[in-house]
Amino acid sequence: MMAQMATRILRGVERWYSIPLLLLLWQAAVGSGLVESRLLPSLLRVWTVLVKDTANGVLPYHTAITLGRAATGFALAAIAGVPFAAAMARSTVIRNLFEPIFFFGYPVPKIAFFPVFTYIFGIGSPSKIAFAFLECIYPIVVTAYLGFRAIPQLLIWAGENMGARPATIIRRVVFPAAMPGIFTGLRIALPVSIIVIVLTEMIGDSKGLGYYIAVSGTRFEYANVYAAILVIGMCGFVLDRALLSVRDKSVYWERDEEAIRF
Amino acid sequence: MKISAAAQHWIVPVALLVAWEVCGDTALLPRYLPPPSQILAALHEVAADGELLQAASISLYRVVLGFALGTGVGMFVGLAAGLVPSIRHLFDPLVSFLYAVPKIAFLPIFLLLFGLGQESKIAITAFSCSFPVFIASRHAALSVGKHLVWAARNMGARGSTIFFRVFVPTTAPQLFSGARIGLANSFVILFAAELIGSRGGLGVLISEGEDAARFDLMFAGIITFAVLGFAADRILMTIRRHVLRGQIIGTAEQLVR
Repeated sequence: MMAQMATRILRGVERWYSIPLLLLLWQAAVGSGLVESRLLPSLLRVWTVLVKDTANGVLPYHTAITLGRAATGFALAAIAGVPFAAAMARSTVIRNLFEPIFFFGYPVPKIAFFPVFTYIFGIGSPSKIAFAFLECIYPIVVTAYLGFRAIPQLLIWAGENMGARPATIIRRVVFPAAMPGIFTGLRIALPVSIIVIVLTEMIGDSKGLGYYIAVSGTRFEYANVYAAILVIGMCGFVLDRALLSVRDKSVYWERDEEAIRF
Repeated sequence: MKISAAAQHWIVPVALLVAWEVCGDTALLPRYLPPPSQILAALHEVAADGELLQAASISLYRVVLGFALGTGVGMFVGLAAGLVPSIRHLFDPLVSFLYAVPKIAFLPIFLLLFGLGQESKIAITAFSCSFPVFIASRHAALSVGKHLVWAARNMGARGSTIFFRVFVPTTAPQLFSGARIGLANSFVILFAAELIGSRGGLGVLISEGEDAARFDLMFAGIITFAVLGFAADRILMTIRRHVLRGQIIGTAEQLVR
């Protein structure tokens, strides 16, 4: 019993020691005056800024805007992308028409088109949501498409043989079989949506976490920059965990062994 | 009438281009969407006076150096993390925490560290590139079958032979997919960094075109950047195909080409 607890604690320490270690190194570097304190504000200062801007509502306000935009773009891409991938996998005509758009368009750095988006959709939320949609739909469609394509024909034959109607086959065979692929795409797209929103907010906006970082940076308030980075990291981490647990519930028969888990 | 698959591939892109050109020529589109023919003319204009070549080579220099640095560091640390548990435990929490943070958020810090010139752009590109490479290399090193290593050792292979003949070939496919994501990241982060503030480079060419309301110039820069990103990916994939001859048959990647 005691030995078991000791090993569990030891494993916890082994897995998590790097974050306290890094914080300790940080504090030591600042405390000893080795690093200019403007570049690396003390942890206390970052913490004070984080608490202050959380309490007066500045950080929650910008975070809510960024997350709202990211969630909208991500959700739209998921709603449009998964059925589209299914259609592409099942119909030769749709596949032939749209395959080049997705497979040749995949490596194109779409960020280059962001200036055009700001002209079409305006500088505020719509252009950012539309851009997040564009960036998210590529990984979602491509991975879900590969997932739908990889369904063993045997499973479908088996279903048909047992007298299932096409609708039943799609609902009970095709979608479950493609589920791991769909979730892989969603897990790639989720951080992409946050990254893209913050990035575009840094390029030009008057609200959102990206704006907060850009403004704090130009004012040399680096403690605020670190505070915002912490907030984004936390949000991304929590959202990814949430998506992973949804995945584990809906794809209960197959664990994603590649995921970094704690 | 049956249209061949190859012809069907072209329908949507060609239709879009034609519609764009026709709508643009008949002034149906707003001024900020110049038709393709005008963009081509602008491309020719900046290509002729050397402005495009200069801007493109500056951007390309930054992206190539950043990518090479980021991939090198990411691969080295990632493989080490896959092989040595204590290194893995050191990096896992940090990487999974920072993964969803846009690396561009560190731009103010990189600007202060490396100044406003080339170095800060290259450094932040490398930084951003190293994350996906690290993750892929870590997974790759972890997924090398122990039996393969044992079998090689049993047959008397030395450490270096095991590394080059067993380890490298089994991890190579995943290392390449990591490098591919890293390459895409490099282009994205460099573009954002150039747009936010830089001297020289395609991002500057684009924002200059924007400021002067020369939207054809803006598009010329955008198209060049997109083509460079696409070409870089193709080059990496070609190298990959040569290195991995025979290893990608029958995998999902054949579909993606």
